Amino acid sequence: MDTQGTTTGTTPHSPPPHPARPRAARRLLATGAAVFALLATAATPLSPAAAAAPQQPAVQAKAKAAPRTLTIAVAQSVDSLSPFLATKLVSTSIHRLVYEYLTNYDVKDAHTIPALATEWKSSPDKLTWTYKIRDNSKWSDGKQATAEDAAWTFNKMMTDEGAASANGSFTANFKKVTAPDPTTLVVELKKPQATMTALDVPIVPKHVWEKVGDFSKFNNDKDFPIVGNGPYVITDYKPDQYVKLKANKNFWRGAPKFDELTMKYYKDGDAAVAALRRGEVGFVQGLTPAQAASLKSEKNIKVNDAPGRRFFALATNPGAKDKTGKKFGDGNPALLDPAVRKALFQSVDRKAIVDKVFQGHAVEGQGYIPPRFAEYHWKPSAQQQIAYDPAAAAKTLDDAGYKKNADGKRLGKDGKPLDFRILCHATDPNDKAVGKYLTEWWGELGIGLKVECLDSVSDRWLAGEYDLAFDGYSVNPDPDYVLSIHTCAALPATPDASGQTDNFICDKQFDGLYDRQIVEYDKARRTDLVKQMQSRLYDTGYMNVMVYPNALEAYRTDQIKSIKTMPEAGGNIWGQDGYWSWWSAEPAASGDTPDQDSGTSPAVWIIIGIAVLMILVIAFVVTRRRSSTAEDRE
Amino acid sequence: MTTSESTPPPETGSTPPPATGAAPQGKARSLTWERRRTSVARFWRQYRSHRAGLYGLGALLLIAAIALAAPLLVGSDVQNVTGAPGKALESPSSRFPLGTDQYGRSLFGLLLYGARISLSVGLMAAALSVAIGTLIGILAGHFGGWFATVVMRITDWFLVMPALVLAIVLATVLSQSVWTVVLAIGVTSWPTTARLVRAQTLAVESRPYIERAQALGGGHGHIMARHVLPNVMPLVLAQTTLLISSAILTEATLAFLGLGDPNVVSWGGMLQEARETGAVSSGHWWYLAPPGLAIAVVALAFTLCGRAVESVLNPKLGTSR
Repeated sequence: MDTQGTTTGTTPHSPPPHPARPRAARRLLATGAAVFALLATAATPLSPAAAAAPQQPAVQAKAKAAPRTLTIAVAQSVDSLSPFLATKLVSTSIHRLVYEYLTNYDVKDAHTIPALATEWKSSPDKLTWTYKIRDNSKWSDGKQATAEDAAWTFNKMMTDEGAASANGSFTANFKKVTAPDPTTLVVELKKPQATMTALDVPIVPKHVWEKVGDFSKFNNDKDFPIVGNGPYVITDYKPDQYVKLKANKNFWRGAPKFDELTMKYYKDGDAAVAALRRGEVGFVQGLTPAQAASLKSEKNIKVNDAPGRRFFALATNPGAKDKTGKKFGDGNPALLDPAVRKALFQSVDRKAIVDKVFQGHAVEGQGYIPPRFAEYHWKPSAQQQIAYDPAAAAKTLDDAGYKKNADGKRLGKDGKPLDFRILCHATDPNDKAVGKYLTEWWGELGIGLKVECLDSVSDRWLAGEYDLAFDGYSVNPDPDYVLSIHTCAALPATPDASGQTDNFICDKQFDGLYDRQIVEYDKARRTDLVKQMQSRLYDTGYMNVMVYPNALEAYRTDQIKSIKTMPEAGGNIWGQDGYWSWWSAEPAASGDTPDQDSGTSPAVWIIIGIAVLMILVIAFVVTRRRSSTAEDRE
Repeated sequence: MTTSESTPPPETGSTPPPATGAAPQGKARSLTWERRRTSVARFWRQYRSHRAGLYGLGALLLIAAIALAAPLLVGSDVQNVTGAPGKALESPSSRFPLGTDQYGRSLFGLLLYGARISLSVGLMAAALSVAIGTLIGILAGHFGGWFATVVMRITDWFLVMPALVLAIVLATVLSQSVWTVVLAIGVTSWPTTARLVRAQTLAVESRPYIERAQALGGGHGHIMARHVLPNVMPLVLAQTTLLISSAILTEATLAFLGLGDPNVVSWGGMLQEARETGAVSSGHWWYLAPPGLAIAVVALAFTLCGRAVESVLNPKLGTSR
C-alpha cells in the first residue's frame, strides 16, 4: 500500500520490479535500522553509567555532608504543640526537646539536676524559692533566655485559666513570681510545696508568647520554626503526618549529633515495624511481644525491653460525684461494697496476665508507683495484700451475702444478677486481651462482665458512666502528680466539667496524707508519707494495679550508633523524663547508606502469595457475579 | 374448593392408596405433593448439570457439617483463654495443626468455630436483606403510582450509598454484638433485591390471570401473596444464595475493623487479632492465611451455588451455560 506508493515514486524509471524483492529488501533495511536503534538505545544508558563511575566518591562525599536525619515512628496524635495545653506523651516528649525547664532529671537515676536554673534554694520559712537562671541559654531567634521569660510563663499560668490547662497544678500554690534581674527568679508560695525542684513546666520565650491572645485556643503550630531553647527546634508539623525538628547548634549543653529529627506517623504497628526493617525509620516504640521477638533475630536492629514508667490498673467507679458532692454517672451500686471489689481483685491472676498477655514483658502489679522508681515504690504487707485466690474470692462473696442462683450467677442485694461493664480502649490490644481473661475469671465467680471497647473512652469516663475501667498513667520521677489525681480537690467542679481526677476517688485520710507530703521538704519523711498514701489507696480498694508493662522498642544500629536510655542502665528510650535519648543519639558512621537487601523472609512471600491468591479468588467471584447475574440481564 | 373436589384429576401418574376417609381431599393434597416432588426432581436434574454448582454445594455441605460438629471435633472450650493448651504464637505442629494464637489457643479449633459465626451471620443477614428487599419490591411493583416513586427513590438512595460505610456507621452507633452486625448488613444490602423483585412483580402483574383474579374479587393481599410472591420466589431464592457470599465478606470486613462482637470467634475477628498481635510483621502466616482462605472459599462456594440455582430457576438465563 504505502510501500508501493513509495516504490513507484522513488524509482520511476526502473522496470517494474518483482513485488516480493523490494519488500524483502525493505524489511531487511528496517530490521537493520531497528537493530541499530536498539544498539543505540542500549548504548545510551551505558555511557552515563560509565561517566558516573568516577563520580561515585564525590557523590558519597556529598552524602556525608548532607544532614544526618533520624526518623522515628510515632502513633499517638499530637493534642497540641502549645506547652500550656499539651498533655499527651508524644507532645510532652516534643516539648522536652524544644523548651528548657528550670530543672531536669539525671539520666542515671533521675535525681534533680540543673537545666535552665543552675542553682536554687528555699528560704528558712520554706515559702520563698530563689532560682539562679543560666546566662548561656539563647532562644533560637538569637535572644537571651532570662529569668524574665520564666517569671512571665509562671505568671501567665497563675492569671490565665487557659494557660493553666496542662500544668496548672504546679502553680496553683504560687503567690507571686518575680524576676529582679535577668539571672534571678523568685517564687513566693502560699504554703510549702515539695515539687519546687520538679516543676515540669516548659519555659517559653516571653517576646513571642506575649502576642498570643487566647491561650486555650492557641496551638503554637503556625509560625515555623518555633522559637525555643532546647536541643531541637520544631521546623514543620502536619497533623498525623510528621513533626520535623532541627538540631539547635547553640544548645548550652552541646549540640545534638543528629542534624534533623523527624517523627513520622504510622498508625499501624505492623507498618512501622516494616518501615524499621527496611530502614525507612530508625526507631519504633510500642512493639507487641510478637514483633519484638521477630525483630530480635534481625541484624542491625536492637530491641530494647525496659521497665516501664506506667502502671496498668483496674479502676472501679466509686460513685462519681463533683466537688459539691452532687452524684452523677451510672456506676453499679454493688461496686460500692468493699467485699465485691475485694472478690473481683482476688480473682485476678496477675501472674497469668504478665505471662500470657504481656508474654513476660511486664512486672506483676503491687503498689501504685512502678518499681522503676525504687525509692517511692511500695508493696502491700502480707496481711493487707489482695492475692490471687479464687476460692477466697467466692468465700468473700458468700460471706457478704451474694449467693449464687440456679444458673450459677451471683445475685446482688437487689435480687438481680451481678453484671458489670468494663470500659476498654479499642486502640489497646492489651485491654481487650485482659478483658477476655477477666470475663472468664469473674464468670467462674458468678459475675457477668461486658467488655465495652471504645475508640475514645473519655466521654463516658468523664460522665462517670462506667462500672469498671482499664486505667493507666505514666509516672514522673516526682510522684506528686499521680497522687494528686486521687484527691478530693481533683474532682470536677460540676458534673459537666472535667476535673484532674482519675477515677473520682475522694478519701479524707488520703487527702490528709497528701497535704502532709506536699509540704514536706525532708526527702526521707516525704517518701514515707508517699508510701503511706499508696497503702491507703490500696486499702480503699477502688483501684488495683495489675501489672507494670515494659517499654518495648527497637532501633537500627546502622543508623544510631549509641543512644542513652533512662535510667542509663537498662532504661527506656521513648518518653523519658528529659531529652537524653535524642540529644545523646549518635549517628552510625558508615550506616548512612540504607540497607540494600530488604531481607524479606520466605514467610512474608508466602503471605503475599496467599494475599494475591485471595484477591484473585474474590475478583473472580465478583466479576463472574457482575457479568452474569440476573439483575444485569433484567 | 368445592369445584376442585368435584372435578376429577385428568391424569394421575401414580395413585397413592386412598386409605383415609377424606379421600378426595387427600387425593388433592397428594397431587400437590406429587407435583412438588417432580419439580424438585426436575430442579435437581437441572442443577446436577452445573458442575461448578455441584462443587459449591459439596463444599458448603462439608463446611456446614464442620460448623455444626465443631464442639464435637475440637471441644467446646477451645475459645477459653484461661487454661489454653499451648504457648503463645506457636508455629504449626502435629498438636496444633495451624499453630496457636497469642493466648495459646489452637488456631485450628478457632478456625472451625469461626465457621459457625461466619455462616450464621451470613445466612441471617442475607435472609433479612432479602426479606426487606422482597417486601419493598412487591409493594412498589404492585401499588405503583406515587407510592412506588417514593419507595423506589429511597431504594435508589440506599443503592448509591456506599453500603460498607453505612454498615460501619450502624455498627459503631449500636452496641457491639452479632445481631448488630446482622442488622447492619441486612439494612444496607437490600436495594438490589428490591429493584429486581419490583421488575419481576411488574412482569407478573401484566399477565392476564392477575386481571382475572382481580375480576373474581381478589384483593391486594391475595394477589401479592398468592400470585406474585410464588412467581418471584425462584428469583428471590437465587438472589439469597448470591447475597450470602457478600454478607459473609461484609461480616468479615466489619469484624476485621473491630466492629464485631469481641467475645465471639469469627474469621474476620481472627484476622483483626492477628493484625493487633503484630502477626503480619512477625511473619506468622499461619495466623493470617487460614481465616482469609476460609472466607474466600465459603464466599466462592455460595456464589457457585447461587449461580447454578439462578440459571436453573430463571428460564430467561437459558441452559446454555
